[in-house]
Amino acid sequence: MSASTTYGPRPWTFYVLASLFTLFVIFLYGPMVSVLILSFQGPSGSLVFPLRDPSVMWFSELFRPHRVGDVPGAFARSLPLALVVMLLTVLISVSAGFAFRKRFFGSTVLFYMAIASLIVPGLVLSIGILVTFRYFGLPAAWYTSALGAHLSWALPFGLLIMFAILGRLNPSYEEAAYDLGATRWQSVKDVVIPIVFPGMIAVALFGFTLSYDEFPRSWLTVGTKNTLPLEIWTMTTNVTSPALYALGTVTTIISFIVIAIALGSIILIQRKRSRGL
Amino acid sequence: MSQSGRQKAAFTESAHGSGEIRLVNISKQFGDSYAVQDINLTIPHGSYCCLLGPSGCGKTTILRMIAGHETPTSGEVWIGDQMVVGKPPVERGTAMMFQNYALFPHLSVLDNVAFYLKMRGMGKEERRARAEEMLKRVQLDHLKDRMPAQLSGGQQQRVALARSLITNPRVLLLDEPLSALDEFLRLRMRGELKSLQNELGITFVHVTHTQPEAIALANMVVVMDTGRIDQADTANVIFDRPTTPYVARFMGGQNVLTGTVFDRKDGRVQLKASSGAIFEVNAADTPESPQVSIAVRRDRIHLRRRTDPKSDDINAIGGRVVATEYQGSYVKVTIDVGNDVFVANVSDSAYFRDPVDVADVVVATWMVEDVHVLTKIDTGRAGDPYLEKGE
Repeated sequence: MSASTTYGPRPWTFYVLASLFTLFVIFLYGPMVSVLILSFQGPSGSLVFPLRDPSVMWFSELFRPHRVGDVPGAFARSLPLALVVMLLTVLISVSAGFAFRKRFFGSTVLFYMAIASLIVPGLVLSIGILVTFRYFGLPAAWYTSALGAHLSWALPFGLLIMFAILGRLNPSYEEAAYDLGATRWQSVKDVVIPIVFPGMIAVALFGFTLSYDEFPRSWLTVGTKNTLPLEIWTMTTNVTSPALYALGTVTTIISFIVIAIALGSIILIQRKRSRGL
Repeated sequence: MSQSGRQKAAFTESAHGSGEIRLVNISKQFGDSYAVQDINLTIPHGSYCCLLGPSGCGKTTILRMIAGHETPTSGEVWIGDQMVVGKPPVERGTAMMFQNYALFPHLSVLDNVAFYLKMRGMGKEERRARAEEMLKRVQLDHLKDRMPAQLSGGQQQRVALARSLITNPRVLLLDEPLSALDEFLRLRMRGELKSLQNELGITFVHVTHTQPEAIALANMVVVMDTGRIDQADTANVIFDRPTTPYVARFMGGQNVLTGTVFDRKDGRVQLKASSGAIFEVNAADTPESPQVSIAVRRDRIHLRRRTDPKSDDINAIGGRVVATEYQGSYVKVTIDVGNDVFVANVSDSAYFRDPVDVADVVVATWMVEDVHVLTKIDTGRAGDPYLEKGE
């Protein structure tokens, strides 16, 4: 704004920062675009540019099991795992957020303990969980040990977001609800939850994406069957066809769809609240 | 019979009974400090009561204890013949209008107003019909589908009013209801609040820190100072005959002077101020103490030009003009009288006959009938809202 209203040349810092941002955008989207283009490589094409005889053959290859690894199987594990992590993150973060609105004995210690898992290295945590499961004689699987590992990563984020959201929630809304005869539960259900709902979508989005592309915490905890990031990693070591790019394209598209759904619903709610503005 | 008349009848029928509020030895402690200390107050049914005081004086805490949003540390709150401590607002028959209105941002105007009925399990059609009726009363039915964020401040306030009134309260509690509005709207909503209270006949308790608002609206003004009530009376008595220096200064219409008793004769007591000026008051009102503080109405002062501020006249005080402020119907002349300032509100006709300017020397005089004796000795400028910007 201010740049367009000032008269005279732009300061040199504008050009420095603009080039820096351009580099950042190229670095962020360039590889993604390359992968996207190369996933349409034809049968005579290789892993590198140029693109020859564009086709979608590597996409169909992808969904034929045992040719390039078990992609459909890995996806069938990663998606429900991410959805369960998402659901639990929302449930636990929201209730913990409510609990932390009141100061209770040991609340500070508890908070730092929850946040500490953000700085524990993922691979170390993965090994630790595996060893513990072994000790108790439990088999490691994506729906048990990996679920726990993912929650240890997603929950602190969810918790921090909920703190920010509930911190901004004016207590007079709840008082007004109480004044108008709402029970404690009614005031949560009919006032607080609807007001903080956009924030809860943000928590859900974090829960989903943090789990869906988690590698280090999945590494030793998924047991014998791989999740998608692990499967992709395995493929990079033994698949040497553009099917790898096709896989990259598909998983990126799925991530974008999830983000679009989340942002779309937030925008929809906000538009509904300020119709006509 | 007019529509409002019928609605009034409906209100009195369904009201929970008397809206008399009695606070008995109420205290509220936060940590080690008292927000409210040992207060006794009776607000009669159907009155418009203003709790007036600077921020931090405990007026909002009292309101919230009546509303049930705060529990007193000790003491009793009675509404009608019910001891209400521990009871939720709906059982008390109170409804509160919050300072920021606290309209639910996710609900339309109609659903905001219908919220109380929804909480009581009333069906959608019926509660919306009743909410619409209530919106008609505040002339906002044409905005029923809007969201709160799309309304102006005045409209939001009316929605908040409608949302409170749909509970059929016997006591309406208003927390600084006009502070969020601009000057023009504030005066208009002030008038609307007053006529609404007249029409409903229920008790209104209104918290404010603005003196003109309180005396314009209330038939009972309660002036508060750090957790205590200084004076509770009609607006006229509070303004004209404040009992304490604090109230006299806070209401702003008075000059406070202090002197030592040095003579009593013919039913008059003469006081000598530290500056040497002599004031006379009626002996009947004067306490038997060596020092006495008095209040003189600012608009009963007569100004005369002088070359020497020293004056041997009785009921006179001299000094140099430090400021003049034109107020339309009068001019506020501030005079430096040594250790304090003295204010004279001179009518515009009297002022412009011989306008005094800054640095002119004047003597202010008044009649003994316009002097009013205070029950406490003035200890300084405590409570002067212009010197104590606590916000």
